[in-house]
Amino acid sequence: MTRLAIDIGGTFTDVVLEHGGQISSHKLLTTPAAPEVAALEGSAWLVADCGLSLSDVQTVIHGTTLATNALIERRGAKTALVTTEGFRDVLEMAYEKRFEQYDTDLQLPQPLVPRELRFTLRERLTAEGQVLAAPDRAETLALAQRLKDAGVEAVAVGFLHATVDPRHELQVRDWLAELLDPKVTICLSSEVSPEIREYERFSTTVANAYVRPLMAHYLRRFDTRLRARGFDGQFMLMLSGGGLTTLDQAAKTPIRLVESGPAGGVALGARVARELSEDRLLAFDMGGTTAKICFLEEAIPATTRRFEVARAWRDIKGSGLPVRVPTTELVEIGAGGGSIARRDALGRLAVGPKSAGSVPGPACYNLGGTLPTITDSNVVLGKLRPEGFAGGKLTLLPDLAHQAVARNVAEPLGMSSVEWAAAGVLEIGEEAMANAARVHAIEQGKDVTRYALMASGGAGPLHAVRIAEKLGISRVIIPTSAGVGSAVGFLSAPVAYEVARSLILAMERLDLGQVTRLQAGMREEASAVVLPALGAGEEVSYTWAAELRYAGQGHALRVGLAAPLADATDLAALEARFVAQYLETYGTTLDGNPIEMVALSLICSGPAVESLAVTEAATAHPAVVTARAEVFDPVCGARVDAAVLPRRALQPGAFHAGPALVTEAQTTTWVPGGWDLSLHALGHVILDRGSRQ
Amino acid sequence: MSLKSQPTAFELAAKPLSDAEIIALNVMWNRLISVSEEQANALLRVAFGAIVRESGDLSAGVFDAEGRMMTQAVTGTPGHVNTMARSVNAMLEKVPAATLVEGDVLVTNDPWLGAGHVFDFVVVTPVFLGSRIVAYLASTCHIVDIGGLGWSAEGRSVQEEGVLFPVMKLRKAGVVNEDFINIVVANSRVAREARGDIISLMSCNDEGLRRLLDLMAEYRIDSLQPLADFIFARSAAATREAIDLLPEGVYQSEVELDGYDSPIRLQAKMTIGGGVIEVDLDGSSPLAPRGINCPLGYSQAYASFGIKVAVAPHVPNNHASLEAIRITAPPGLIVSAERPAPVTARHVVGQALPDLMLGCLSQARPGQILAESAGALWVLAISGQETGPQAPAFASLNVALGGMGARPGSDGLSTTAFPSGVGAVSVEVAESVAPLLYEHKEFAPDSGGAGHWRGGLGQDIRVRALKDQPLTVSAAAFERLRMGAAGREGGLSGQPGAASITNGQVIDSKGLYIVPPGEALVLRTPGGGGFGAPQSRDPALVARDLARAMISESAARDLYGQKDR
Repeated sequence: MTRLAIDIGGTFTDVVLEHGGQISSHKLLTTPAAPEVAALEGSAWLVADCGLSLSDVQTVIHGTTLATNALIERRGAKTALVTTEGFRDVLEMAYEKRFEQYDTDLQLPQPLVPRELRFTLRERLTAEGQVLAAPDRAETLALAQRLKDAGVEAVAVGFLHATVDPRHELQVRDWLAELLDPKVTICLSSEVSPEIREYERFSTTVANAYVRPLMAHYLRRFDTRLRARGFDGQFMLMLSGGGLTTLDQAAKTPIRLVESGPAGGVALGARVARELSEDRLLAFDMGGTTAKICFLEEAIPATTRRFEVARAWRDIKGSGLPVRVPTTELVEIGAGGGSIARRDALGRLAVGPKSAGSVPGPACYNLGGTLPTITDSNVVLGKLRPEGFAGGKLTLLPDLAHQAVARNVAEPLGMSSVEWAAAGVLEIGEEAMANAARVHAIEQGKDVTRYALMASGGAGPLHAVRIAEKLGISRVIIPTSAGVGSAVGFLSAPVAYEVARSLILAMERLDLGQVTRLQAGMREEASAVVLPALGAGEEVSYTWAAELRYAGQGHALRVGLAAPLADATDLAALEARFVAQYLETYGTTLDGNPIEMVALSLICSGPAVESLAVTEAATAHPAVVTARAEVFDPVCGARVDAAVLPRRALQPGAFHAGPALVTEAQTTTWVPGGWDLSLHALGHVILDRGSRQ
Repeated sequence: MSLKSQPTAFELAAKPLSDAEIIALNVMWNRLISVSEEQANALLRVAFGAIVRESGDLSAGVFDAEGRMMTQAVTGTPGHVNTMARSVNAMLEKVPAATLVEGDVLVTNDPWLGAGHVFDFVVVTPVFLGSRIVAYLASTCHIVDIGGLGWSAEGRSVQEEGVLFPVMKLRKAGVVNEDFINIVVANSRVAREARGDIISLMSCNDEGLRRLLDLMAEYRIDSLQPLADFIFARSAAATREAIDLLPEGVYQSEVELDGYDSPIRLQAKMTIGGGVIEVDLDGSSPLAPRGINCPLGYSQAYASFGIKVAVAPHVPNNHASLEAIRITAPPGLIVSAERPAPVTARHVVGQALPDLMLGCLSQARPGQILAESAGALWVLAISGQETGPQAPAFASLNVALGGMGARPGSDGLSTTAFPSGVGAVSVEVAESVAPLLYEHKEFAPDSGGAGHWRGGLGQDIRVRALKDQPLTVSAAAFERLRMGAAGREGGLSGQPGAASITNGQVIDSKGLYIVPPGEALVLRTPGGGGFGAPQSRDPALVARDLARAMISESAARDLYGQKDR
């Protein structure tokens, strides 16, 4: 099996080839005007480098931030919204609240469809689906003419309570299609995001319509060009929810692609968890501007359907556009290698969320940046070596890092030592990341100390151990190819599709007939997406879950189901599991309060990709130390002598006790004293907290 | 990090901080803020009542051993945020710290000790390390119903408004006080939800307690006092620095409100100088006969919020940052109501105070302060009487939001509350929890005050019973029906609100109204004030607003001077 993964990010395009159990990779700059150009060039180069041609590749798997970028940069189609009479402003009223209590200057995101392109039709359903007014054909056709005159390229249709009964949306689509050019995209809220709450549903539907013409065109063009170069296999897309899907499906609901890059990183976590039999894994990825974390249980990442894109105001939560499609549940922290440290107005040491990015970059890059960053602090402390950074493309200047930290951190905070100041910058940044993980664990009722931490991204392995210490975690894994982790992850993702339906009803009033019909519909929808993407004889699995809460609450807990709900016994068992999970999460139960169902979800997936097998056990042997470095260690308040271990030189079974630095082209791993390093047979670096402290 | 080898108690005053101590204190401060935030988030996830959740009508904080607030979660309502700062000590005056043992939890809903009306319950948990109290955790949450009149301004005394619990033990040495819970259950119309919220308040404090003890263990400290001193010293200095940027002087302002059925006046004299802002509310109207009176603590909360957003928005709320802002009033005014005045809809007055403060500050910082906003949240409390098995009785709660005042650099936000941070409940959700039908909910054109920057728009709402059932509507918080939100720097006032019933009845007091079967309630919420002269508005923005039908052609022509095209 020969497979190719392509991850197109904002700055870099990563290409990874899997051939005969071997993984090769290539990194090149993204070509934003036509992203497929770099991707094709990189693919052709890598394939040739491995002595193959594109015609030898059976599957190409692609993930991209293109849809997200189109939403951020507002480069999508001219989109109209057709909605229920009397509710023209749902999209712009949004939540009708300020997301920041003390900032009177804040700006809300501009809706993707301005008021002049939001139209209404006379139609209405009640919350129970009773028709109060049916849409009128003549009125709809007149509206179609107006849409035509306005030159819209995409139309979103969103009616109140369409999730209870989609018939009005379906009817209006048919009538609109009679008059509109077939090229005009029409998206229905009941299809894109069939969940209650009109603002989030309309927002998701509009975002899908907005990016669909662009994405459909791009994907088809990419596919055509791949085939022109001899590719004759299957072209698959990575979804935000962690599964793969076909080009046709991706072109239909491109909004499901928004978080595909990070989902790849999480898929890598799933693969590593399987390979190392880690039942509980905390995947941590840290790049230049942000860090992301995700919890995986038995190699299955947590997923959610609440997400926002294109934050409009200082990257503050709540300032973006809500998107309700399945995504891996990532917690994002505004801390990356480029995050800038400063003394805030309260005299506190603050790190991020502002990042120096790649331009002007950290002070030590000598590319114009003068403000101290996390990267500069690592240089001051001796954790980042001046030579060999970013694959040797850049030589870091420690003097500039030292000056920046001295001037902007040590002096303003009244600290006597620049090294302590740099240690403080890292401590604040690492605390922010550890705390995000801690808070997320508490919210989910998880015991974070029982997890292993997997670190990826250019900056992740430098900070992983300190974060693990803060969380009480005693094992850290730095996987192979950590620098191109997302693309490697694509290769281990199964074909999968998730669907969800709102169903808000007290458990005691639940109609089993209705539930059965709903489940059948969900199964049909998900199967229709997944089955065509599978090879002959490949088995499909269905994972069901229900979302429940005590009636009157807003937040629901997701409870897994072994099988679709069939009878009263299943319902009773479900209630009992909810109560147990509530106790675990919130430390209490509310006996006597009725429980209600909120939603059902289903993940339909093809077979998991087989993990690499360990062919033979590695023989334990001490690592060969070729160089040494002086690294400042705040535990003793002085520089300590650390071994420098190039990762390429490490053989499976090699071990060494910290302090040590493991260096490789895209990242560096810091192993402080008290931690032991070993190289797994599959190439992963394993760090274990030793007995010595 | 070497923090593990720190001495068990810092001596901050005696010697300068070491580098390691500076880092440790910075990290612990962040961690403590997180403890509060998480405490509030946990509460938010389990709270009952859509409007409580949507609005974040709750709060949580960590207090030092002397009952001084160290950190607090920033949630939706300044009314909780700032009242709770004083609650802990006020409650400890009634039940002294020396009488508390591990496992005790205190509770009250006394409007004069907590957040200004009987709906808000404050729960305080002492944190013991050995036999010593090292901290307190407090949280507050709005409970949907606690008996009495329910959501209505019709009470003539606080006794009519609901059951009032003096400071008492919700838990005694680890054993829940079932007597207390039973009284709540016996009185609340939503007994299960009320009980659930109170239990959740207690368990979210417990969660905060565990995290606080973890923090102290990790840093090997047995007292929070050095950290408290560090937080207070930094916050006091930053607040003072911010106040010192204002020109010293005395500034006066007033705001007129509709009142219950006759106008009321709010008046302020603000004195800025010496690193302190003092506000005297003397001259404001006397008590109202019905429940729109405001206990002084709640007035202080909103007034200091109004000052903070303009003067020191970056300084977190704590004992020290709040200390530099002093709000006083002689007793017995509508802003300093005393027991047993009715206070249910105290936010009608409280939420007007930020505009009053901003009026003073606009003289100290001309050209830099936003215009007046719609102000008080219009609480949409609608209940239906039972008319048969198909139409059972129900009660529902939502809010109808007006426009925010125009800002010095941008238009006001439409249908967005200020000073409250409350958001509206989704129509689909509102209709699935109560048999109501929203017929219309859209921006109200021309409702925002004209200006160089336009005030935020209010909205038109039309709602009726889905079934053949009369509705009862409380107009307790329908404010600014007579006086629109004033503009600033030459901007015009926003349009006042309007409320009526389709049978022709005009709503013009804060009483209860009946919507007969087949009729609808029609609301137009007030718009925000404009900022700067309308004639100077960018013609492209005027044209845009016109194309979007957010202003009318006559407004474009008459107010903005748009030439005929």
